[in-house]
Amino acid sequence: MKDAVLLRDVTFQYANGDSGALNEVSMTVQHGECVLLCGASGCGKTTVTRLLNGLIPHYYGGALSGEITVFGRQIRETAIEDLAGTVGSVFQNPRSQFFCVDTTAEIAFGCENMGLPEAEIKQRLSKTVSEMHIQNLLDRSIFNLSGGEKQKIACAGVSAMLPELIVLDEPTSNLDLDAIAELRTVIAAWKAQGKTVIIAEHRLGWLSGLCDRVLFMEKGRISAEYAGDAFFSFTAEKLNGMGLRAFRASRNYLESKPGLHCIRPFESAGSISLTDFKFSYGKHTALNIRNLNLPAGSVTAIVGHNGAGKSTFTRCLCGLQKGFKGRVSIGGKMLRPKDMMQLSYMVMQDVNHQLFAETVLEEVLLGAEESEKDKALSVLEKLDIAEYKDRHPMSLSGGQKQRTAIASALLAGKKLLVLDEPTSGLDFRSMKSAAALLRSLGRDITVLIVTHDNELIDRCCTHMLHIENGSIAPD
Amino acid sequence: MDGLFTADIENRGLVLDPRTKLFVIITLVIFALGGTGSDIAAVRYGTAAVSILPAVLLLTAKQYGKAAVFGILFVAVKAAQLLLLPYITGAALSILGICCMVFVRLMPGLIMGAYMLSSTTVSEFIAAMHRMHIPQQITIPLSVMFRFFPTVLEEFTSINTAMKMRDIRIGGKYAGRFIEYRLVPLMVCSVNIGSELSAAALTRGLGTKVRRTNICRIGFHVQDIAVLILTAGLYILWILGMIGVVI
Repeated sequence: MKDAVLLRDVTFQYANGDSGALNEVSMTVQHGECVLLCGASGCGKTTVTRLLNGLIPHYYGGALSGEITVFGRQIRETAIEDLAGTVGSVFQNPRSQFFCVDTTAEIAFGCENMGLPEAEIKQRLSKTVSEMHIQNLLDRSIFNLSGGEKQKIACAGVSAMLPELIVLDEPTSNLDLDAIAELRTVIAAWKAQGKTVIIAEHRLGWLSGLCDRVLFMEKGRISAEYAGDAFFSFTAEKLNGMGLRAFRASRNYLESKPGLHCIRPFESAGSISLTDFKFSYGKHTALNIRNLNLPAGSVTAIVGHNGAGKSTFTRCLCGLQKGFKGRVSIGGKMLRPKDMMQLSYMVMQDVNHQLFAETVLEEVLLGAEESEKDKALSVLEKLDIAEYKDRHPMSLSGGQKQRTAIASALLAGKKLLVLDEPTSGLDFRSMKSAAALLRSLGRDITVLIVTHDNELIDRCCTHMLHIENGSIAPD
Repeated sequence: MDGLFTADIENRGLVLDPRTKLFVIITLVIFALGGTGSDIAAVRYGTAAVSILPAVLLLTAKQYGKAAVFGILFVAVKAAQLLLLPYITGAALSILGICCMVFVRLMPGLIMGAYMLSSTTVSEFIAAMHRMHIPQQITIPLSVMFRFFPTVLEEFTSINTAMKMRDIRIGGKYAGRFIEYRLVPLMVCSVNIGSELSAAALTRGLGTKVRRTNICRIGFHVQDIAVLILTAGLYILWILGMIGVVI
């Protein structure tokens, strides 16, 4: 039987100079195989997935040489849209991979484009929906779905087109552990149907037992190849040494009881007391915490399942939630929501939303006085981004943008720093340096981290606040 | 998110054919905004009746707040126009004139457009355009709009939140650069999303030479016929007025 995928001496350089260039990559994938591509950010794993679905060279231009064959079709001579029935793709960002506004139309979208007869599409639609158990997601608005639900719809849309090969590019970046487990069952089902599956990922644990073969990439080359079983028995130290994330952290913090737990020796120095943290959206009570003392100067992880009320909690704490009536006091001083907004800063998951200025230096000076330029430079030095001070913030990498946002918060004299999923999409090295940075901010600043990343919690948090159903009462 | 343009197809109430909605918008532009036939009394009353239609449609979609705000503003300003305008002069006249321009002439069309965006699915829209024999080259870019507005609005809300935390606001220290600081991240995010969206759509076969199927059923129902008769009545009144049958 012919190979499903064949890459021979493929070299590629993005025209816009993006990282992720490939250097003489050769690989073959058999029919029905499930292959994992892993490696640090910028190693070229995403680039390989783009070669397979034709986005390179037809959408992302650049200098390409070598031969790429997918199910006997030359990618370089086949238009992306003509590959649609052969190769299905699931992407990283659930916000930007939907064309329709309702779920049913979205699942049918690919089949409609292929011009299949209406009866056939309807039949495929109902088959896909029942196979994936997503009856409850039909006829919903895309904008009302959670990240995990969106990713399921994306998979269903791909499934309905019955492609031979399915490529997934970091599909779990925005998912919590439950949603990841569900994605795993979807992929297992694809495997059982004999489909070829190729996954580029940096979160690895969930793929154990699923992938037959693992290709480890470094600087645009495939530098090692492992059988699935052998790879998934590697120790955390070995993986970290390769620049990869461990399969699982020493413990899963979601298994603890709701409430505030101290997880590392910590000398208390006063507290931030929260009273009447209650909030409802209409009839739905999102948050119901009567009393809570957050240790000042701590690094506290906020964990909980999707929809547990973590973001409502942080929005209320930062004074961003309209109509919130709770009270905060620090050192006996009562603070109104407006004061809290002055004191706190939230680093969002999509940090692009909060970088405004033309250079990094100007950005961090935005909330501060002009005279503080020296202080600004020393903060940039401390955060390891001083060499980029004259670059446009938007031209930096994800981790560097995050640091710029943190630097601007430090300089503006913020005392409470909230980070929303700071490590989604970060590889091991960036995660490690983010953890070191957060730990080193000092006792002067209280850090709250909303995260699903147990490894990050292991590395930097002193406390953990577990919220479920908007409450911290152990049930 | 409860934005004006946010699609909420889960409870949109009365389902109208996209072509009906389009017809109402065009009619509002011609008569309310364009002021066609405003010298004929019957057409003036008819225009007022059609102008209030968006409020009724919003009511059926359970968007009571928006319906009430628009309905009350429209009725109040229209009443002021009819009752007060002949008696006032000077600055008051200018202010009322501007209010009339915005709330009586511009708003009905805008509200109807927003209603159309929030109550039409992409497939309904594509199906409707197809029935009207509009080529795909025009339909597909237009249909992206349905995804794009709500998405940009979501981005905009996040950027607003970020600006609040940085104390960038009107009247604040950076008032002068308020707009620039808002537009830069918005544009970067929009461009990123737009480009990822196109890539995703291409991998799912958008743009093949094959004739596209559409499994979405659209058609005219009782409610469409009611709305169409009401709207078409305006054109008939206008023609009758032109030839002098009604005044």
